[in-house]
Amino acid sequence: MIEVKDLRKDFGGLHVLQGITERIAQGEKVAVIGPSGSGKSTFLRCLNLLEVPTGGQIWFDGQEITAKGCDIDKVRQRMGMVFQHFNLFPHLTILENITLAPTHLKLQSADQAKEKARELLTRIGLIDKADTYPNMLSGGQKQRVAIVRALAMNPKVMLFDEPTSALDPEMVGEVLDLIREVAEEGMTMVIVTHEMGFAKEVANRVMFMDEGVIVEQNAPAELFGNPQNERLQGFLSKVL
Amino acid sequence: MTGLEKLWQDISGALLRENRWQLYLEGLRNTLVIAALACLIGIVIGLVVALIKYIASTKKSGPWKVAGAICTAYTTVIRGTPIIVQLLILYNLSYFTDGLYASIIGFGINSGAYVAEIFRSGLNSIDIGQREAGRSLGLGQWPTMRLIVLPQAIKNTLPALFNEFIALLKETSVAGYIAVRDLTKVADGIRGRTFNSVPLYLAAALYLIMVAGLAALQKRMEKRLARSDRS
Repeated sequence: MIEVKDLRKDFGGLHVLQGITERIAQGEKVAVIGPSGSGKSTFLRCLNLLEVPTGGQIWFDGQEITAKGCDIDKVRQRMGMVFQHFNLFPHLTILENITLAPTHLKLQSADQAKEKARELLTRIGLIDKADTYPNMLSGGQKQRVAIVRALAMNPKVMLFDEPTSALDPEMVGEVLDLIREVAEEGMTMVIVTHEMGFAKEVANRVMFMDEGVIVEQNAPAELFGNPQNERLQGFLSKVL
Repeated sequence: MTGLEKLWQDISGALLRENRWQLYLEGLRNTLVIAALACLIGIVIGLVVALIKYIASTKKSGPWKVAGAICTAYTTVIRGTPIIVQLLILYNLSYFTDGLYASIIGFGINSGAYVAEIFRSGLNSIDIGQREAGRSLGLGQWPTMRLIVLPQAIKNTLPALFNEFIALLKETSVAGYIAVRDLTKVADGIRGRTFNSVPLYLAAALYLIMVAGLAALQKRMEKRLARSDRS
């Protein structure tokens, strides 16, 4: 589904990604862990070209999205993204937040989009908030709305960039529950996270990144239970 | 003669004698025409310049950078020179035989530079995450700007924008320098006939009423746009 070849990204003189070659298959749930500054968020943001790579190639669904002339807007319509800071649109109601892109891009009629948004809001128990504005929601509620906003586009893959890092501890659970549900429905997912327990439980593959490369990756039980790399061992001893 | 009689005499001398009230109306009309059209020109120029500067700031090179530099030169020159000098220069270009046109264009170009800076700071006040969220949903650069960034930016800039419009309205009082019969010029002319300051007081009152109207409009718009702030 996603293929990455020798992906590099520099910020000025800083080499944040130093050549990543990777494949993510349909239906896989990949968790990316690592210390801050290791390049894991940059890696994720390169996958939908929010960061433009300095070098290397990326294919999505058989199409090279790093190629010149690739319509990245079209590609992004099939890649949902969830941000650390939710990034809901504060000037639009919850319902409008969800329906804006599908209706503007003419992927769904206004009525279809509204119906779908109501369905999604009912599912996450926030249908009574449909006509209110984002600033009336708690952090956990905002993030759940942000997740269904991405789901409303019927994406083929969901990218999560530290989806629970900006939340109060008591709200982490509700957001993880929703991500878990989406995972169980078979969605392909890439999750950058600090929640080791969650990564262990939901992911079928965990990547450990450090200094711009994937140092070690494995099934979660193996990676957490029997880490090989010294840096991974050090990292796990600090966070577990 | 009592004080009251004297006051009535002064006012009627400033307003009624020789149908002078018609002159105020003419001046008021010119002032309003200049202010309103210059305001429109200012908004259009300001929006375009702010968007070019904003986009140029996200690019590394190429034609956007050149356009950005031109826009910076424009705001620097316009904001760095007096409006009266700008008007005189414009008026003395031979195509403007009528001071009214010269002042509409002149005030418009002048206001555009200020409005551009206001819009630019408004655009910069919007978190980059808003743009990223729009783009990540597959919206293009312009739809993201129009549907997500601009509405929030304009709401944030409303107080500064109205400040500018109020300043613009009052600044049109220097249009008399290039022979425009605006409210100030007309009132000053009548003063030369009445030999007292009553016409100037009347002009001041009219400016005050217009500014109060603008302030009321501002309040209404801010209230409407504040819907999403209620919690």
